[in-house]
Amino acid sequence: MVYLSKKLNSDIPWVEKHRPKSVKDMAIPNTKIKGQRVNLDEELRSFTRNFFSERGKINEENKKIKLFNRTHGEKERKEEKKLSPENAAILLEGPPGIGKTSIVYALANDLNMEVVETNASDTRTRDKLEAKLRETVKSRGIMDFMVQSKQKIILIDEVDGIYGVSDRGAVPTILDIIQNTQFPIILCSNEYKQSLQPLYNKIKKLELSSLSDEEILRIVKKILAKEKITSLSVNDVNLIIEKNNGDLRGVINDLQGIGQGILDENTKDLIFKLHRDNTEEIFSLIRDLFQKVTTLGEARDLTNKSDVDYNFLYKWVNENLPTFIRLNKELANAYDNLAVADEIFGRIRKNQYWSLLPYFYDLFAGGVTLSRKEKVVNEGFRRVVFPRYITSGIFSLSASERSLVDKIKQQYEISDIEAIQDFIPFIRILCQRSRKELKNIAQWLELDANEKKVLK
Amino acid sequence: MVDDIPIWRIKYLPKNLGEINGREKIKERLKFIIEQNNFPHLLFVGPDAIGKTLIASLFSKEFLGHHFKPNFKLVYANVPLSSEERVEARSDAYISTNRIGSLAGKTITTPAFIQVKIKPFVQLKALGDVPYKILVVKNFEALGSNQQGFRRLMEIYGSNCRMILITTKISNVIDPIISRCQLLLIPPINYDSFKELILKISKRENLEMEDAVIELLYRITEGRVAQSIDLIQLCSISNKVIDINAIYQGFIMSQNELVRSLLLLCLRSEFSKARELSRRIQSNYKYNSQEFFTFLLKELLKLPISKFARNRLINLIAEADFRAIDGQDTDIQVSSLLSKICYFSEFL
Repeated sequence: MVYLSKKLNSDIPWVEKHRPKSVKDMAIPNTKIKGQRVNLDEELRSFTRNFFSERGKINEENKKIKLFNRTHGEKERKEEKKLSPENAAILLEGPPGIGKTSIVYALANDLNMEVVETNASDTRTRDKLEAKLRETVKSRGIMDFMVQSKQKIILIDEVDGIYGVSDRGAVPTILDIIQNTQFPIILCSNEYKQSLQPLYNKIKKLELSSLSDEEILRIVKKILAKEKITSLSVNDVNLIIEKNNGDLRGVINDLQGIGQGILDENTKDLIFKLHRDNTEEIFSLIRDLFQKVTTLGEARDLTNKSDVDYNFLYKWVNENLPTFIRLNKELANAYDNLAVADEIFGRIRKNQYWSLLPYFYDLFAGGVTLSRKEKVVNEGFRRVVFPRYITSGIFSLSASERSLVDKIKQQYEISDIEAIQDFIPFIRILCQRSRKELKNIAQWLELDANEKKVLK
Repeated sequence: MVDDIPIWRIKYLPKNLGEINGREKIKERLKFIIEQNNFPHLLFVGPDAIGKTLIASLFSKEFLGHHFKPNFKLVYANVPLSSEERVEARSDAYISTNRIGSLAGKTITTPAFIQVKIKPFVQLKALGDVPYKILVVKNFEALGSNQQGFRRLMEIYGSNCRMILITTKISNVIDPIISRCQLLLIPPINYDSFKELILKISKRENLEMEDAVIELLYRITEGRVAQSIDLIQLCSISNKVIDINAIYQGFIMSQNELVRSLLLLCLRSEFSKARELSRRIQSNYKYNSQEFFTFLLKELLKLPISKFARNRLINLIAEADFRAIDGQDTDIQVSSLLSKICYFSEFL
């Protein structure tokens, strides 16, 4: 019996086993709304509270309208009121593994609610989504008038995993559901996606950033203590955390792999071979592209087989080129190919010349990797990094920059662009040199703390 | 209250045309216009940041007198519209009532910029006792093909609203616009008036400056008054006596120097560092790719390298700029340019 329970226990993934029961036990990721920092926990709580109060009001009004419609004729019919999407749903956007799903479950637990979840593993065609969510969304339980049944939260996880063809009609359905829902809806997504634009326009977006290594370490220590694992050195733990780049789920998965495991030597190799989600797939794909592939055919094979979006893959290649290719000549060569590939891709998108796509593939995968003449057999581990998105080409200001620019404009006739490129850099240098100037300028422009931070 | 403004370039901003140092000929001409109480559309041409807009707005202020506020508007053509303004422009589209021809039944929109920023202003009648309103459009060349929309606007509403178009690159302004305007060339301020102005400021602020320092200032800022005043203020924090070293130190912190050091990093073949720096420059100053490439080109011309090398590098920048027009990801094009410069530096 003892044996059995032990076995059962080890079968559950640690990620599930140690999923936080309450928000208090969590590492809460830094959160921003339009550049302004907020507390994620408070934001979600106030969102659900607000939802139920708004919903309650509207339900009351609708009851009256229904009564009215029943007693009056066709002509005088009144429209039933709908909840505004902003109050009905909220979107959490952030990198994988930082606890988007977990915080929803933990919150539901704290508030004594149930979670109804749909995620990318379900097909999300219109019919399926409706079948799954409609009932929960609309019905309020037969026994409602007798017992207060448990309230629900609807979680639509991995929204960015909605694919155009196989999940046709999903976005309009979600929008429709948002308008009619009786329960608050929380959507989670990893990244911005063009096809979800109608959603972004209507609902509030919280931007979550990855967890800091210290926070992860705190949680990892707890888990290690619970699981009574002593075989890992501090160094190993740090290595695992660093490698996962703020992805707590990844860290826990790695820990389980090693902790339950079977071996202590070659720990590094073991972690790096573990396959996890998409990110890991890209990691290994990039590594293979640069370190293994020797012919164009192989490169082509590799990119064809992978599920990774090419739209996305060539950004990874761009980011990681200098880590793998160190010789100037080869680097220049590789970048030449990549630049042409990018140009071709732009033309494909602009003019719909899809027949050019093969060139794009061959250039960015084959051309880039084959620019490397000599393969070093055992060059050791090179760290693959996430592509960074810089917003060049689009002139956009953060909230505090925006208000600073507005305040400057009240005093001095200047355009947004001049202010950012010319005037603010100057004030910044001035303020860095002397505190007195900072004080004077802040007084003159009546700046608050956030705006001052821009100048520091 | 004037003394309370902590930024000198604003503190010493001229309040009327008479306060502008130098530029006698231009001032004379503008004063003549004010006396006549009539002027055609104007086109101001001159290098960037030398005070064209200042002259235009001071002139308008004097021309319009105390009816200045409601009858004057300054529009920046290179600042993109915000999303709300875009929506507003789209909602103003209408469906053509033509029954035949290619336009039949089509949705007709005017360019969003003109729709939102220009039309509402020029259509309304001038308020008060003034012959017409004045619209100043800055960076006019940035409008590109939208300039065509201005042709009709200048004719239809010309009697109600006169325009002052300001541009740094007259070659980018289309001919029909040039032919509708009177040209006014505005060169950088000459050295004598520059010196006079700087001496005046240094006297007011109790600074000491030698002639050589002023000369250096004039040379590195290419006669840009605002930038020079910024530099002086920066130097004055640490020392009341301003010397060449201090000026040079201050200048190094400007973005010109950052771009220069980016080029030097590339020429030393340090690709990773160079890419880091270029990303920092782009995100700090929010340059779009074209601005960034022009900046690179400008700094390249100042670098002391051989003719052959310079030619080759210009070629590389041009190629990258060209590709970025069609490309999807400018970061790739910039990285590609940097890596090519790194490789090229091996042959120097």
